[in-house]
Amino acid sequence: MKLVALIKKEFHRFFHDPRLIVTILLPGIVIFLLYTLLGNIIHTEESREMKVYLSGNSAVVEVLEQQIKESGDKVEWLPLENEEEARAAVKEGEATAILTFSENFDLFGEGARAGIVYDSGSENGSYFYGLVTSVLISVGMRFPIDVQTVNDSADMGREILTSLLPFLVVTFVFSACMSVTLESVAGEKERGTLSTILATSVKRSHIALGKIIPLSCISAIGAASSFLGVVLSLPKLMGLDAAMFTGYSFISYLLLFLLILSFVPLIVSAIATVSTLSRSVKEASAYTSVLMILVMIVSIVSLIVAQFGDWVVAVPVLNAVTAMGQILSGMLPVWQSLVSVGVNLVFTALLVWLIAKMLSSERVMFGK
Amino acid sequence: MEDLFTSEIVRAENLKKTFTLSRKQQRLEKTSLTRKVAVNGLSFSANRGEIYGLLGPNGAGKTTTLRMLSTLIKPDEGDAYIMGHSVRKEPQKVRDCVGFLTGELKLETFFTPDYLFDFFGAMHGVEKETLVKRKRELFARFGIDAFSQVKVGDLSTGMKQKVSLVISIVHDPDVVIFDEPTNGLDVLTAKVVTDFLAELKRMGKSVLLSTHIFSLVEKLCDRVGIIIDGKMVEEGPLEGVCGERSLEEKFFELYHGLKGEIV
Repeated sequence: MKLVALIKKEFHRFFHDPRLIVTILLPGIVIFLLYTLLGNIIHTEESREMKVYLSGNSAVVEVLEQQIKESGDKVEWLPLENEEEARAAVKEGEATAILTFSENFDLFGEGARAGIVYDSGSENGSYFYGLVTSVLISVGMRFPIDVQTVNDSADMGREILTSLLPFLVVTFVFSACMSVTLESVAGEKERGTLSTILATSVKRSHIALGKIIPLSCISAIGAASSFLGVVLSLPKLMGLDAAMFTGYSFISYLLLFLLILSFVPLIVSAIATVSTLSRSVKEASAYTSVLMILVMIVSIVSLIVAQFGDWVVAVPVLNAVTAMGQILSGMLPVWQSLVSVGVNLVFTALLVWLIAKMLSSERVMFGK
Repeated sequence: MEDLFTSEIVRAENLKKTFTLSRKQQRLEKTSLTRKVAVNGLSFSANRGEIYGLLGPNGAGKTTTLRMLSTLIKPDEGDAYIMGHSVRKEPQKVRDCVGFLTGELKLETFFTPDYLFDFFGAMHGVEKETLVKRKRELFARFGIDAFSQVKVGDLSTGMKQKVSLVISIVHDPDVVIFDEPTNGLDVLTAKVVTDFLAELKRMGKSVLLSTHIFSLVEKLCDRVGIIIDGKMVEEGPLEGVCGERSLEEKFFELYHGLKGEIV
């Protein structure tokens, strides 16, 4: 009953204050408008003409052709006779990609594989690669695709996108959490209103949960707004087909959702811990900036390091970022994702316990 | 003997509290000491239906004492019992039977008095029907009905104090602790507060208040404790403490005896 009253109070304050609602929703809208505008400036809407060497046959080819036609683009299929020559053509820009299917590909049999060779530095090549992978995921391909690029430079397309998205998610989640948590925890402590609640018979653990639960929900709305802003506008910015985001399975989206859902309360708890320790919003902001840098470093590490061992699931933040990266690459790291969710929730519970302890500490609460 | 014991609602035994001084505080207090004894061996008791006044200058330890009694901070030594519950060992039970109001405890400016009354009622576990009845009574008595739907941030100091007052007694506590209850109030609001304190006494509640206003103690209190530098220098029934003199004369006699003449 007391916990419910505490939770309702936070929601009441948020949903009755237009400024807070704008603070949470505005970043997503601004990101969408800004990225879309930039995308329109950078990428022209000229139709693409692609030449693709094809080896083996699959129903996937028909789906690809249909999607390309619907986009107003053209594709010419060439039989793959000499791979060396075809590779040279891709490298020279005379062809877009080489696409290969094993004989039993459509039967999902043992050893069924697909392969693509493309120029990751070419806009057409990256577009075609994104299209192929999204179609393969949409038809339920559960085995890896052999990907080779003829360009040593970094892929400007999907690879950047899939590795960058988890980092962006972390950034937006952190920003959303920061904007509501600092004010609610450090602000209340600074204004002395938290002491008023401490003078009642409510349990300290309920006060901590009464902050973390609603702030996590509110932050999740903010993070979702920013995330949607990115997802809807980034393909435009990167010159990719937005269809690549619709190609993921329900399980992939569910895992992504669970990872973000476990990540939000973790970040809220971490910021709330720092805010409870601080004497003012200003002090809490300074400490939270350090926390943000740490989280950013961990996220960046996941961009740089190609693969981690299984131990990564035990490291909060890094576990979620790594799992999200794998999901966006077309993999389905089910157990890693679920363990990561569990680990994040355990760390959240630990932080809630710590906050409850700090609320009982007069040194922390009254600076004595 | 039993009657005497059960009528003792508040009992403080040898309370001691020491604070660590920050460098800024050391500079302000012009001392090189890193610790300050705020309350030093304080003992007193208050009975049911009594108003007990803690009188002393700023920094004497009045607020620290009241905060220990309301379980916001823990005594370093000694203990206090409210309705028989130890503030050290049973803080949760103490909070259930204490209403605490201090100038340092603030209300969130975003909410209305109506919302905050319901919220703090829920915090104290007051049942909904009781809460509605109590809100009607208290809001009418303090004239809060007129601004019950106005955000606290838009209220005057007097209005805020009225709201704080009713919220501190939302759960109908047996012991009410008020730290400087009339500070910063206009004469009309101060009168409402002092009248209410007298009514709490008539209702059989125990009231502990800290103040530096002699007239308030003389008008309301049955017992008085004079605190100087964290020590109880005189304590007892008002008549016994003052004798033939006024409270003000008695206070300065004690003060000068300890600290010397004020220049």
